[in-house]
Amino acid sequence: MDNLSDRLVTCFGLVFPNLPLDEIPSAAAGNISDWDSIAQINLLSVIGEEFGIGIDFEQFEGATSFPALLDRLREIKGRD
Amino acid sequence: MRLSEALRINQLSLAPDSRCKKVQLVCGFTPLHLGTFVEAYIRNRFPGERASIISGLFGDVEGNLKRASREEAQSAVVVMEWSDFDARLGLRSSAGCDSPILADILEHFPATISRLERGISELAGRMPTVVVAPTLPIPPLTHLPLAQSGSLELQLQYQMIGLLSKLCGIGGLKILNESMLASRSAFRDRRDVNLEFHAGFPYTTSHAAALAELCVECLYPPIPKKGLITDLDETLWKGILGEAGPSGVSWSVESRSQAHALYQQLLASLAESGILIAVATKNDAALVREAFARRDMLLKETQVFPIESGWGAKSDSVARILRAWNLSAEDVVMVDDSPMELAEVKAKYPAIEGFRFPHNDAAEAVNFLSMLRARFAKTDVHAEDRLRLESLRNAPSINQTQSSGDPLDFLAGLDAKLTLKFGTAANDNRAFELVNKTSQFNLNGQRYTESEWQAVRNVPGAFLLTANYEDRFGPLGKIAVVVGRCLRNKLYVDIWVMSCRAFSRHIEYHVLERLFEKFGVDCIEFAFRPTERNGPLQEFFTRFFPHGLTAERFELSANVFMALRPTLFHEVTEVSHG
Repeated sequence: MDNLSDRLVTCFGLVFPNLPLDEIPSAAAGNISDWDSIAQINLLSVIGEEFGIGIDFEQFEGATSFPALLDRLREIKGRD
Repeated sequence: MRLSEALRINQLSLAPDSRCKKVQLVCGFTPLHLGTFVEAYIRNRFPGERASIISGLFGDVEGNLKRASREEAQSAVVVMEWSDFDARLGLRSSAGCDSPILADILEHFPATISRLERGISELAGRMPTVVVAPTLPIPPLTHLPLAQSGSLELQLQYQMIGLLSKLCGIGGLKILNESMLASRSAFRDRRDVNLEFHAGFPYTTSHAAALAELCVECLYPPIPKKGLITDLDETLWKGILGEAGPSGVSWSVESRSQAHALYQQLLASLAESGILIAVATKNDAALVREAFARRDMLLKETQVFPIESGWGAKSDSVARILRAWNLSAEDVVMVDDSPMELAEVKAKYPAIEGFRFPHNDAAEAVNFLSMLRARFAKTDVHAEDRLRLESLRNAPSINQTQSSGDPLDFLAGLDAKLTLKFGTAANDNRAFELVNKTSQFNLNGQRYTESEWQAVRNVPGAFLLTANYEDRFGPLGKIAVVVGRCLRNKLYVDIWVMSCRAFSRHIEYHVLERLFEKFGVDCIEFAFRPTERNGPLQEFFTRFFPHGLTAERFELSANVFMALRPTLFHEVTEVSHG
């Protein structure tokens, strides 16, 4: 796992404290009951804070899994 | 505080039986991060306790107020934004902003204000409540240039100030200080439009954090310090008294020493509110008296006790002051211009909070004075606060008289009058303050928030007993509080405190005697806990338990009490709480 991925794991750990660390890379809204719309906003807000980016919710529309969020982050950070 | 930090704090594990602070968060928007931060700041303020934040429905602040009044929370925070008064004043509305609509907003505004006033008043009658006036600007709705204030905006703000002024007079209700919020959260950094459109939460995380921090400070203010020890040279005034003489020291704009005038003014104001002010100075006592005699001194000599002038170590002066006040170092702040003196005192009294007076920087001095005032801030000033200094001044003559003869003769000659009040009075703020500030004669050292204080007095069989005392040396005011329960012919005392100014007068025996008589019980159970500072209370009980108090709950029987209590001389009057 790279640095971006590690930091994203930390964000997931804060929003889903009951999720075992090794399950985070495969986490998706569909398989975590706590992952509702509020959790999604919390997650995006923590990601915004962690990576120092303003969150454009449209840009993260549909990004409801760890891999999808990691992809979006790589796109954004790649543009920096 | 960052959101990630707040989430970490809220996830810290706690003992299953840890106490929980239930707080209603009443607002018309999704509480989201504001709720998270309120919870985190409460948990920071009360380590080892959990916090439960209860919120209502989106877009229905009036309904949320009604529901909150019915909830079993201990306190409430009401956060209003302009859109709660009229949805057309929010960014999520696009109802138009032509003249008839603006006129309609103004027409309906007073009725909404009245409904919210009723709802908030009712809530504040049930639990301690903090009210936050709109923190976001009214969106631009008129044709005016942005730099210009318009009639609509001013009329809405005028009505809002009217609402806050009315609410301000309600007991148990506090209005959040917008200026203080502005100092922590700049206006331009408050709104998160993206989040507002997407999730109905209008604040940036930084604004939510600042707002939550201040709300928690307002709801649970820190326990104020009780005394301030000040130096004189380059602190209370500019200049060195021994060199410049009493007429050469200064505190004015003209002599470029205005910071010292503001400091004197602050100390005078603190003295008026019952804070003890003392002087510890390395100076000649006669010169100090001469300086205090200057008519332009803003802090009067009568407001200061004691004045310790001399050439010995500052820590020795501090020791004598603490003895005269009967306070411990942790209740006291010291201000001096010399870091060396502050360090010397700190070495002997680590608990004392010492501050260097910033005499060379006016801006820093003004900030320092604000910080200093906050250390002593309190919601109410009571009659007892004004009596405190006088009773301390009289203490040496009382002690002298007492030590020169038979203690019982002394007590018999005091012409003491004790007024006991029984009841469950709701708004006895002095009793609440006494419970939270008394350390030495304190049954268990437990401190209470306003909501916890309300709760302990609302349990079945609860009683509140307060005692006022006066003798030939003057009145002491309300000096003792007992809170307990009478259940199945047994009396339980959960809280018992008595001001240290009332020691050595046998008031505590009278209080117990009256409890046995009033409730006709054979024994009283005390919720005792030893603390670092409640030695005087433990010493009192050694009369009945010569081997000391070993259990955290113990019983005292009426027979033992009556057999061992001393002769009591007070004239006792009993009245009921209104």
